[in-house]
Amino acid sequence: MSSIYRFLIILLPLLVFIFYGKVLLTDRIDSSNYMQPKNLPQFELLDLNNQEIDIAAFDELSLLNVWASWCITCLVEHPYLTQLSEKEINLIGLNYKDSQENALKWLGKRGNPYTFSIFDPRGDLAFDLGVTGAPETFLILNQQVIGHIQGELNQEKWQSTFVPLIQAAKEASK
Amino acid sequence: MKASILVCCAFLIASSMVFSDVVYKFENTIQEKRFYSLISEIRCPKCTSGSIASSDVPVSRDLKRRVYEQILSGSSDQEIKDYVTERFGASSDYKPAFEGANYFLWFGPFIFLGLLMLIFLLSRRL
Repeated sequence: MSSIYRFLIILLPLLVFIFYGKVLLTDRIDSSNYMQPKNLPQFELLDLNNQEIDIAAFDELSLLNVWASWCITCLVEHPYLTQLSEKEINLIGLNYKDSQENALKWLGKRGNPYTFSIFDPRGDLAFDLGVTGAPETFLILNQQVIGHIQGELNQEKWQSTFVPLIQAAKEASK
Repeated sequence: MKASILVCCAFLIASSMVFSDVVYKFENTIQEKRFYSLISEIRCPKCTSGSIASSDVPVSRDLKRRVYEQILSGSSDQEIKDYVTERFGASSDYKPAFEGANYFLWFGPFIFLGLLMLIFLLSRRL
């Protein structure tokens, strides 16, 4: 009987060790990808060309990508976003803490993959979305945020995070 | 000598200018105390570990500004914390409320310690 307890004394701490090891080693960013759908926050902002924004643009499945001309990682993900916007999905930009002039220059130089970019110089909408920096990307359907990636969006993250969410959303709407 | 005094004065003026944009002015000391205790209890979302009080990344600066604005507009501590966790997740509260699943968070280590003690004592008795 006592050998069972002795066994437990070793096993229990080991289990706890494995549990906390797993919690600590799992990428925190990954765990935040799967989120409860949240309503898109209300905002009163114009796009980069001073046009008013029709909120109905977020009815269909779309990506909202947080970017800025000062953001280096945004440069890295720019080719992939361009590729995505050409065939897969409606891509909307959220220009974050930037100047209008620099932002437009950046788009002119590198190409504009966005249907339009919301101009958010103070980061107000970004704050309400829970943005911690650029780049970040939100998956939106029916004006609800259903997915969130922090950092660079690439093929791997697109496949592992957004594709399953898109499929789940499509099946739910059937 | 004169030159060195001038340089010192220049540094003093320059340093006070650098920090002048992050000075928060309050209506009374209670507000000020609440502000400093709140920002030490809100987690910096961009950091591995640490409160927004100890961080100067842009998102922490924004958070501090919002906390400041909310205090001046008369929100309660709980309202401000709800405001933050709604946007940045429950993990941004470093001092979670005593309720629901949080009991496990607060008492988990003690429960575990108690279990170990129990097993230890039982194994010795047998």
